[in-house]
Amino acid sequence: MRRYVLRRVAAFVATLFFLSALVFVVVRVLPGDPATLILGVESNPETLARLRHAMGLDRPLALQYIDWLARAARGDLGTSIQYDLPVGRLILSRLPVTLPLALMAAALMVTIALPLGVYAATHHRRAGDYLAMLVSQLGIAVPAFWSGLLLILLFSVRLGWLRSGGFDGWSAGPWTGLKALLLPAIALGAFQAAVLVRATRSAVLEILREDYVRTARAKGLAEIRVIRRHALRNAMIPIVTVMGIQLGQLVAGAIVLESVFALPGLGRLALGAISARDLPVVQGVTLFVAASIVFINFAVDLAYAALDPRIRYE
Amino acid sequence: MRRPALLVVLAAWLASAVSVQAQAPRALVVQAATEPPGLDLTATPASATAGVVLYNVQECLVKVDAHGKLVPWLAERWHTADNRHYTFFLKKGVRFHNGRELRAADVKFVIERAMNPETKHPYPQYYANIGDIIVKDDYTITFSLKAPAANFLLNLARQGSVIYPREAVDTLKSAPIGTGPFTVADWVRGDKIVLKRNPEYHVKGLPKLDQVTFRFIPDPNAALAALKAGDIDVSLFGLGPEHVADLKKDGRYEVIVGETTNDVVMSMNNSRKPFSDVRVRRAITHAINKADVVKLAMFGMGRVIGSNVDPLNPYFVDLANAVPYDPARAKKLLAEAGYPDGFSAVLKVAPQYYYTVRAGEVITDQLKKVGVNVKIEQIEWGQWLDRVFCRPASGCKEPDYDLTIIGHAEAWDIGNYANPKYYFRYDSPKFQEIYARSETTIDDNARRDLYVQMQRMLADDAPVVFLFIHPRLVAARKGVTGLWKDLPIPSADLSEVGWSPAR
Repeated sequence: MRRYVLRRVAAFVATLFFLSALVFVVVRVLPGDPATLILGVESNPETLARLRHAMGLDRPLALQYIDWLARAARGDLGTSIQYDLPVGRLILSRLPVTLPLALMAAALMVTIALPLGVYAATHHRRAGDYLAMLVSQLGIAVPAFWSGLLLILLFSVRLGWLRSGGFDGWSAGPWTGLKALLLPAIALGAFQAAVLVRATRSAVLEILREDYVRTARAKGLAEIRVIRRHALRNAMIPIVTVMGIQLGQLVAGAIVLESVFALPGLGRLALGAISARDLPVVQGVTLFVAASIVFINFAVDLAYAALDPRIRYE
Repeated sequence: MRRPALLVVLAAWLASAVSVQAQAPRALVVQAATEPPGLDLTATPASATAGVVLYNVQECLVKVDAHGKLVPWLAERWHTADNRHYTFFLKKGVRFHNGRELRAADVKFVIERAMNPETKHPYPQYYANIGDIIVKDDYTITFSLKAPAANFLLNLARQGSVIYPREAVDTLKSAPIGTGPFTVADWVRGDKIVLKRNPEYHVKGLPKLDQVTFRFIPDPNAALAALKAGDIDVSLFGLGPEHVADLKKDGRYEVIVGETTNDVVMSMNNSRKPFSDVRVRRAITHAINKADVVKLAMFGMGRVIGSNVDPLNPYFVDLANAVPYDPARAKKLLAEAGYPDGFSAVLKVAPQYYYTVRAGEVITDQLKKVGVNVKIEQIEWGQWLDRVFCRPASGCKEPDYDLTIIGHAEAWDIGNYANPKYYFRYDSPKFQEIYARSETTIDDNARRDLYVQMQRMLADDAPVVFLFIHPRLVAARKGVTGLWKDLPIPSADLSEVGWSPAR
């Protein structure tokens, strides 16, 4: 197990290294001169050249990269051109929005998808199954930003229960914070749940056909225990895999929903930075998100071992 | 005798309590579509920054008012005998937000800093013509120009010319100080900027609001929902024309549709075949039904134009029908130019500006009828600036496009057509000569003549297809008063905005 963990950590670092190089090159190869985007189309050439120099853009790409990497290794991701603040601090200041949003959405996704998926599987080819599949098909087809808008229309405009967007910060009280994140979390979580329902259903369906399930039933085990102890437990491996992928997608979904709900999260930070060519922020956020996703995958791999004692990776 | 006195006091107290109750709310929440990249107007050209800061937090010697007129502001008057030496007399008793009085030395410092290339000012050319700046006394300052410049005063009213105290240079980016009706109280990155009333404001009785909150809501549909949910009171730039009909029907809101200086044009790369032929450019103009473009792409909002100068400009001539919609004539001109069967071209647009894509779709359809097959290519804004707009300053040599659509928001921007290196690549020595003369002609009538000549020339030469003026669309809750109808300068001046007491 220790060798396995060590190998995964090494892969983790290598992936980050590769990603950082990729992001670094891509944001610089993209057309769009950061200096012009900052100073506008009426600035003079001399001033532009000065700014490019100050940003280090006139140096060879490889040198720029090594310099950035050396700093990043020390935890210094550079300074935002737009905000004039350290990138690390900016990312940390946006996490209290994006992280709870993603966690709430993930919790929602699991609480909806698992029971619904199991229900559909155990009621295979019956009305409940078809209904569950229809709902999940709808969920997949409706983009999260649109369902987000519908939720705003219903709960903010029509009923007036919740605010249409914005975030006053957790200092305004935990309940105020949760309320601000509730609608986007529903929009995001429900969308992701739609995918997970199908994965759960097919995984459980497959297990239910196994001999040991028939045996369990034959020895007179209550159906609920058959499902819980035999079917679900064994179906967890594919389900956890899909969940891991979806956790990564939650971050991408958050970018869109943060715009719809005007939330000051990581996604908005990244979006604004890309259009303003705030390169240090783009690099910093991408690296951070990539690291989180790689970390989730890492956690998923470890979860396999816990779920299935046969997996030992030696 | 004591009891009645007490009663009077009580009654007065009650009355004041009642009047406080009846008083209109003094706070306003305004939607801003984009968060400013920083609040320093001497370091960014962003209109998002001007929308918050210009005339609200910081002000200039001269101001462009709601009707586009230049009016004295921090300078209460000025004097020039020869159009080369301008003496400004500053208003006395004007205080910066830090309590210090505005002096002539501040003005000199600010303008000299703008002229210094080290400071990375976004509009250095506004000040290129200034020779000496002499402080006569604390309230008198003289600018000497290298040559007469007709736009000198206008440039002093623009966003790059705001006056701030020299001791506050380092905090301009996050907490700018000025003389404006509001101070920056709080900026929650990604969420909102809060302005508070400046109690020492130099105009008596203003501002009318105690607090203004700019909330950043990028999505237009979300902005509409926020307005309907009562979370914002005003949307200044954030809504699309498609929302207007719905809002107008709703009695709770007021919609203002006004003019701007933003002329939307479809540029044709004049250095590229076939657009280097004026007959082709005229044919394209004849082939486009501008009224339909406005109807289909802008839901009927926006004024059709035929030349560059916008209707808010005093020299505006209506040339909307100078080159009318006439597909038969377009076909004939194309045949004369050697394209009887038409040709193919690519139209590059940046979807960041939704109207460019929509207008492009309508135009593509119209041009097909005269045999011109247009393929729309959507590119990101940064790419558009790099490839299409193609500034020599950014190292770009040749603009890479056939056709493109964009709004030119600057006021008084006809000079772009006198610049052969501008992305239009329109190179007319005659036009350049008239423009140069107009820049040094101060007499209003003579200058108007030159401007009329230039507008007619542009309509004839058709370097671009002049499409329409992008409308100003403001939606506000009923009861909000004092909003500008038109937008002669990219500012969101809220100094006179308030709530009607009847609310």
